[in-house]
Formats: sequence, structure tokens, C-alpha cells
Amino acid sequence: MTAVVNAPIAQSTSRVRPNEIWRIVRLHAVNPSVFFGVPWIILGAAWIVSIVIAMIIGGAGAPEDDIREGMRYSWAVLSPQWYLIVVGVQAVAYTFSFALGFGATRRDFWLGTAVMFVFVSIEMAAAIATLVQLEQLTDGWGVGASMFDSLWYGQQGWLVDFYATFALQLLVLFIGAAITTVYMRWRIRGMLILTLSAIVLVLGLIALATFTESWPQIFGWLGSIGIVGIFSLILGLAAVFALAGFLVIRRATPR
Amino acid sequence: MTPTVVRVDGLTKRYGSFTALDRVTFDLEENRIYGLLGRNGAGKTTIMQLLTGQLFPSDGEIEVFGRTPAEHADVLRRMCFIAESQRYPEDFTAAHVLKAAPWFFENWDAAFAERLVADFRLPLKRRIKKLSRGQLSAVGVIVGLASRAPLTFFDEPYLGLDAVARHIFYDRLLEDYAEHPRTVVLSTHLIDEVANLLEHVILIDQGRILLDRDAEEVRGTASTVAGPRATVEQFVADRPVIGREALGGLASVTIDGRLDQADRVRAAELGLELAPVSLQQLIVHLTGTDLAGSTEQEAAA
Repeated sequence: MTAVVNAPIAQSTSRVRPNEIWRIVRLHAVNPSVFFGVPWIILGAAWIVSIVIAMIIGGAGAPEDDIREGMRYSWAVLSPQWYLIVVGVQAVAYTFSFALGFGATRRDFWLGTAVMFVFVSIEMAAAIATLVQLEQLTDGWGVGASMFDSLWYGQQGWLVDFYATFALQLLVLFIGAAITTVYMRWRIRGMLILTLSAIVLVLGLIALATFTESWPQIFGWLGSIGIVGIFSLILGLAAVFALAGFLVIRRATPR
Repeated sequence: MTPTVVRVDGLTKRYGSFTALDRVTFDLEENRIYGLLGRNGAGKTTIMQLLTGQLFPSDGEIEVFGRTPAEHADVLRRMCFIAESQRYPEDFTAAHVLKAAPWFFENWDAAFAERLVADFRLPLKRRIKKLSRGQLSAVGVIVGLASRAPLTFFDEPYLGLDAVARHIFYDRLLEDYAEHPRTVVLSTHLIDEVANLLEHVILIDQGRILLDRDAEEVRGTASTVAGPRATVEQFVADRPVIGREALGGLASVTIDGRLDQADRVRAAELGLELAPVSLQQLIVHLTGTDLAGSTEQEAAA
């Protein structure tokens, strides 16, 4: 008669498997340019463009203070974010299928991916917050450029800049990854339903705020919670996407 | 007593109204080489994806190493399955695959992998996207062999491989299997290429199992009887016929079941010719004739 081989795995493995999770982090980093190279190439290119623009305006005789004030509304500091949404998408669309082929569980894959996202966010946040300080110290890299010291940056010190970038970075990565889990689980039909629901939800909220004439209160409230408050909301939203992605990916299937 | 590593009972996979697998039942025993044979779209890859927990069954039971495979790390770590249409992370090269492999396969043999890379002349630094079909198959074959997973799947390993590479795969698999026994499941529609490798054959067509038998037994089971039509028909009258061809007054009929000495003597007396049926021919008879043409074309390519 035959017997099922089950003796060696009679004792179930622990639910927390640091090694299994860590190897997913390493898998994401095996080609480091994806997470750590390309974002800096994009940011570097945006930096060169900003410097050149500042030099052109400066060369035309505009006072440095005006240049810096005008460039505060430049979005150059956010340039890598579009790419990082794609990285979030690809992490699930490609690396997920590969990790399953190599015998990873969906759970370990998502946890490892989340750890990777946290690492990337810390790295981006620390670097950008430091570059804001450097830009302020060097008076805009000597030419009055204001690429990093722009938008909400450079107003409340290194720690707030770090926190804001960290929260935004996590949100961007988890949005890309979590939305892709919907595709991996329900394919095109899921994506259509998700897109339509998102549009209906956003339009509904806009209509609600408009008809109740509550826009001034909303902006007033956002103003009152300040930069830290707003980015705490963003961090909370990132956590929602992280949790949703975890729930959806548990039954997702590779293409 | 041979331990069973896989037990599948009534396994069904439906996609909407399409039934990819229909109440499939089979066992896989430890340390044997299985051929999962069938035409394109028969359900071979679906079975392997279900066994490795990549898909969830619509109905039925799967036990791999005594447990449901999906989301069980202790089961999954003992398997290796590189799908024929495997997706790789963006901008991955074969070098990246081989670097990551030891983190996932505890029995990984890096030296063996290196030797296989040289054997197959696989370019390590070229992006996977840019590899030819044969080189892509080589990546899967190298990972499958060097992982030495207790349950290893090869999904259409011959796709695009040239004759030399096919021979290398054949040799290396048998060599390594002799030294490190494991359960191997090889899915293919290029049957003649692997026929001598297989110890057991599971033939699947349109989501159902047509045949689940020892390969040695399968080779002996069918025979072709050829001769004048009336005589042939008389000889095969009460036997299970699985194929019939006729040309003018001549007929060639393939029958399932072993012929004993008395049968052979009688056939000789009647002036009939008996010929053994190869695994591929038998499978063509069982699953339809289109297979023969498509197989030859692809083998030649």
C-alpha cells in the first residue's frame, strides 16, 4: 500500500517567517536599479533642468529671491513618483508571478514587498529631506534654484520633510501594488469595476461637498491640521491600501 | 511500499462556463519520473499550477506532501515549477534568476547550475525578454535541475530547444536523478522526445484523464494489426479498437490490450502483420490525429 509522505512537516511552520519574508526583500533588490537607481536618474535629470532654468532666469537679470519664489511651485521634486507607481505595479504584475514559481506564499510575498516599500520610502525621505537642507544652505546650489525647497518642503525642518516624503512615498508604492492585486485576482472585470467605483465615489464626494457648500470648511480644516496632519492622513491612506492589497492578494493567481 | 507525494481526488477547475479540468483523480509516488502528456490546452499546465498552489481548485481535493499546497510554505518550499510562460521581474536576466534561486531552494547546487549554463550556452547577462524561446526553456530547465526540489515540474521543457540541448537535458536529468532521486513531473506534447525517460504516463485530454499507467506497461499494451481488410476485421472482432485506417482492400487497426502467444500464432497463420505501437502513436490514437502533425512540425523547428 502507499502512504502519504507527511512525517517531516508534521509540525506546522510558524506564521511569522523572517527568512521567507526577507528573501522577498532580497528578490526585489536583486536588480537594485529598479528601486534605487532609476528614481535617482529621474531626480538627477530634473535637478539639472532646474539648475539650468535658474541660471537662464538669473542670466536674464531676475533677482535671486524672485527666482526662488517662482520655483517654489515647481513639481520637479515629485518627478520620480510617477515612475515609482509603475514600480509598485510591476512588483505585483511580474515579481509576484515569479515568486510563486519559486515557492513563496502570497502572504510572505506581500509582507516582504511591504518591508521593501518601507525601506525605499525611508531612503527617499531621508535623502530628499537632506537635499532640502543642502539647497537652503547653498542658497539654491549657488544659482538661486529652488527644486527641493518647494511646495510643502523646507518650511518646518528636516523631520517634517522626512515624514511628508515617507508618507507620500509609501502611498505611491502601495497604490500601484494594491490596484494591481485587483487585476491579479479578478483580471479586467475587477479593474473595470474598481475604476468605475472609484470614479463614482470621487464624483459623489465632490457632489456632496458642493451641494452642502462645505468646501470652505474642508479647506479650513486641512489648513488647521497643517503639513503634519495632512501627511498623517496620507500615511493612513497608504496603510489602507497596504491592508487591502494583503486581503486581495491572498487569493490572487499569476498570469 | 512507495510513499505517495501527491494525492488528487475529483479535482475540477472551471473558468466561467469553461471546464479546464474535470474531476481528475491520480496519485504521484515518490522518486519516479512522470510524463504529463496531452495536446495543447488539455489541462497540463492547469494541473501543475494547482499542485503548486498557484491556482485554487473549483472542486475536489489536492494533497501534496500530506497538505493542501496553496499558502503552505512548508509544502511549497519542496517544489519547483517554472512555467513554460513564466513571467520574470522587469529587466531580469538569467544571472538574477540564478542569484535568487538559492534563497528559495534549500538543495540548490550552484556548481551544477553553472555547468548547465555552459552546456546550454545560456547568455547570463541578456535580459530574459530578449532571450529566444529555446534559451527561455533553458532557464526553466536549469532552475528545475539545479534546485533538486523533492517535487520538480518541467513544463514543456523541450520548447524551442535544439537537438543538442534536448539531448543534454535528457542526459543531465537522468544522471542527476540517479544521484539525487526525486519526483519529476514532465509535461509535454513532444512525446517521442521524452518517451524513454518516463516511468509513468498520465495522459490528459480536454480536462480528463485518458490514461494513467506505468510507461513500460503502456508500451506493450497496444499493437497494430495490418493485412487484408476482412481478415483484419475478423481478427480484431472482439478486441477494443482504438484506431482504424483503411486503404483499398487493406486495413490497419490498432487495438488496446496485450497479445498473447496464441494470438500471435493465429495472426501469423492468417497472414497478418503485427507491429508494436510507440507511445506517441498510442497517444495520437487516444487523443485524435492532429497531434501527430503538430508534434513533427515542432520537433523539426
